[in-house]
Amino acid sequence: MGALSIRNVKKSFGNTHILKGIDLEIEKGQFLILVGPSGCGKSTLLNMIAGLDDITSGEIAIGDRVVNKLSPKDRDIAMVFQSYALYPNMTVRKNIAFGLDIRKVPKPEQEEIIARVAKTLQIEHLLDRKPMQLSGGQRQRVAMGRALARNPTLFLFDEPLSNLDAKLRVEMRSEIKLLHQRLGTTIVYVTHDQIEAMTLGDRIAVMKDGEVRQFGSPQQIYDAPADLYVAGFIGSPSMNFIPVQLHEEDGHAVVELDNGRAVQKVRLSPISDSQRDFVGKQVVLGIRPEQLTDPESAHSERGNLQTLQATVAITEPTGPDTLVTVTFNGIKTVARCHPRAAGAPGQQVELTLDPTKALLFDPASEKRLA
Amino acid sequence: MADYQQSLQAKLIRFGIYAVLVLMALWYLAPLYVMLSTSFKTLDEIRAGNLLSLPGTFSLDAWSAAWSTACTGVECGGMKSYFANSLKMMIPAVLISTLVGAFNGYILSMWRFKGSDMFFMALLIGTFLPYQVVILPMAQVLGWLELENSTGRLVLVHVIYGLQFTTLFFRNYYVTVPGELVKAARIDGAGFFRIFFKILLPISVPTIMVCLIWQTTQIWNDYLFGVVFSSGEGQPMTVALNNLVNTSTGVKQYNVDMAAAIIAALPTLLVYMVGGKYFVRGLTAGAVKG
Repeated sequence: MGALSIRNVKKSFGNTHILKGIDLEIEKGQFLILVGPSGCGKSTLLNMIAGLDDITSGEIAIGDRVVNKLSPKDRDIAMVFQSYALYPNMTVRKNIAFGLDIRKVPKPEQEEIIARVAKTLQIEHLLDRKPMQLSGGQRQRVAMGRALARNPTLFLFDEPLSNLDAKLRVEMRSEIKLLHQRLGTTIVYVTHDQIEAMTLGDRIAVMKDGEVRQFGSPQQIYDAPADLYVAGFIGSPSMNFIPVQLHEEDGHAVVELDNGRAVQKVRLSPISDSQRDFVGKQVVLGIRPEQLTDPESAHSERGNLQTLQATVAITEPTGPDTLVTVTFNGIKTVARCHPRAAGAPGQQVELTLDPTKALLFDPASEKRLA
Repeated sequence: MADYQQSLQAKLIRFGIYAVLVLMALWYLAPLYVMLSTSFKTLDEIRAGNLLSLPGTFSLDAWSAAWSTACTGVECGGMKSYFANSLKMMIPAVLISTLVGAFNGYILSMWRFKGSDMFFMALLIGTFLPYQVVILPMAQVLGWLELENSTGRLVLVHVIYGLQFTTLFFRNYYVTVPGELVKAARIDGAGFFRIFFKILLPISVPTIMVCLIWQTTQIWNDYLFGVVFSSGEGQPMTVALNNLVNTSTGVKQYNVDMAAAIIAALPTLLVYMVGGKYFVRGLTAGAVKG
């Protein structure tokens, strides 16, 4: 039995179905990310885990306790909110002590807990200030301190970094990760930011329209996305999707890419059974920008790299790499090249493609053809 | 040279502006001045006829008469017992309507239920109802309740009539408070009442001040409900003042009338002086902060 089990959980308001049967399970100490665009139901799911929203049907268990009917305070959880939700009329110390007071923790023990939490988060010098006198990052720390003081079996984070500026967000992100590694608590974390999802999570649930599109480890989701949506959502710049016709040659999947001057044959991995059904039909070829690069940057140890010619449309230097936009089959395709090999608009460049990483999708069902 | 000219011109304009402002202020203060100076004059001096002259001798006779011996109708006990009536009516009515309004606002913003928006709309319509419309049904209700005590009746009437305003003030403030605050408190284990008293009420000071000032002014200055729903010794200040001024036996004692009117106006004046800055701050708190 996992630390958190969500079994066929649904949420509806009349005929509007917010969540359409969610199944998730994580082990103790895991960091679960719920990621998706706004309106996908991820915050609703978190609120239901917290007990702030009712469950229409299904079951949520924390540890081995089904918590469907328990009020938030009896679920042994703590939550950090996007707006921090610090009590404005109380000092930092009182903010942390508020929950302890209610649970009738004796005063000396409260002092001990506050001191320990303040030390962990380095907010000792802020204890007697009011939230109004704190910066965004400090408020965020206090909000986490309030959650830590509770010492719950499950931490819930609702987009905790969205209100911070970019630099602070990166700092706090690694701090949350460090905290998780040190304390080993189970965390459920909601975000709309795929980078946060990738960097923090042990397990990621990519959600859309009230459904979990894919549930797996960050690398699984990155390398083997279940469908076009997940493939496009995770990764930045996002995956290129090129419509192609699928052929089979010597047991390999083969597609053709037209760069506007010539049609080039690309030999991919050995064809699988599910791919074989699509031979002669239109499919979508998915290539991540870093798998389409200049020959110099390509990993040469892989023997069967495919070479492609293309005309540069625009170049976008990011510093370490330059993003080169070319056209294949009429679709703008981004390649990640070494700045020296990026070429200039109008120039011909040579690109190499790692065929083992190229993915094929069914354009109708949008599922990946494994 | 040019600078000098310009600054002279600026000074002249500034002088003009201040002159106009001072004149306006004097114009508005003139009635108060007349009331005050008249209240310190003797009747002989008043009869001499100069409305704007300063009192020749500062006589406090009119004030003590207004307070304790002036006749309101057949009784001649001055205003003091009616002043007390008004206080006894106003204090509970203001406190109850403010507290219940805060509570209503809390529920209508943080614990919405099916039909809560309709409920709020209905309350809003209540703010547009004039006093006169309420009188007859209210009399009926008070009859059913068999509430005999004048002060009790007026407290009830003012609480009911004031609720839509206080609810509106608090609700509009609480919708600007992030709902996550309540969620966080629920997870901390705070219940419905603890969240209200420990978290929301303490951050509502500006709104509480608005309600106190608004309700104090409304209730203290009310004449219509006072004259309709109270009788005899239970009447509030405003009704007594009317009776005092309109008592038509003997000579018209303008100085006593003026002193009584000032006494009647003092509490609201005081509330504005003490709480005025909160009033504007509270009214705009929701609008600016967001």
